[in-house]
Amino acid sequence: MDELLLSKVRLGVVAELLNYDWVTFSELVRSLDTTNGNLGAHIVKLVEAGYVDEEKSFVNRRPLTRYRLTPRGRAAFADHVAQLQSLLKAAP
Amino acid sequence: MSVEPLDAAAAQEHLEMVNRILAESQQRLCSGGEHFVVWGIGSAYITVLFQLVHGGLLPPAAAWSVPIVIAACAVFSIVRGRQTRRVLQRSSLLQREFFNVLWLTLGLAFVVDVAVFNIFPGLASAAIWSVAEAIVLLYIGMHGNRRAQIAGVLVIVSLVVANFASPGIAGYVLGAGMLVGYAGFGASELLARE
Repeated sequence: MDELLLSKVRLGVVAELLNYDWVTFSELVRSLDTTNGNLGAHIVKLVEAGYVDEEKSFVNRRPLTRYRLTPRGRAAFADHVAQLQSLLKAAP
Repeated sequence: MSVEPLDAAAAQEHLEMVNRILAESQQRLCSGGEHFVVWGIGSAYITVLFQLVHGGLLPPAAAWSVPIVIAACAVFSIVRGRQTRRVLQRSSLLQREFFNVLWLTLGLAFVVDVAVFNIFPGLASAAIWSVAEAIVLLYIGMHGNRRAQIAGVLVIVSLVVANFASPGIAGYVLGAGMLVGYAGFGASELLARE
């Protein structure tokens, strides 16, 4: 199993990004019902692993950070979910 | 990285979360109604203008307003598109694919209009715009938008009716299809959004 995706928050981030082109940090905080600090700590690991692209910009003079799933992150997510399903099937 | 392996209960919990998130992210296509209103009115204007020029009711010089109208519509779509992209909290993959279809279809219709006018003269080029608009509307309709399905059918019906109508009114029929089908769909999307 992908150790990076064993964290529920990181798995949630990747699942949130799966059907979207870009998602903002604030939208991820809202959908995953977490805090800025917690999400920031988790998402940096996904960016470092190359699972997620990060883009920082300014909109109306306010900083905007948004994220997009990379092909590597998409493949890792598919493998991880398949392994979770196998684990469930094998469970007594 | 050392992490505790998952047991079956935790795996079940993680999968349920993933399924919930994926179910919530199956969004409907957001078409941006204002673009349809602008392009629907623009294309109807051009079609009716050509009919009026062809019928001798307007001088041929009136056709010079066509590139101005097309440029104005294009500028509106580009500026509005950039504004929307900046404000959007989320931009779906489906949305990106839709904009690709939109620009490809209308872009090809534009090329036909300005560079293939000997093969598609007069009303034929207007009909190409109707075909392009019907493709865009039915593409949106394929993703569950009932209003787009009805609008796409209206544009196609206007094409067929124009084909059998007398040449003196065919342009008006095509223009009406663009106005009611394409611009009307945009207006209905804007109303539904509010």
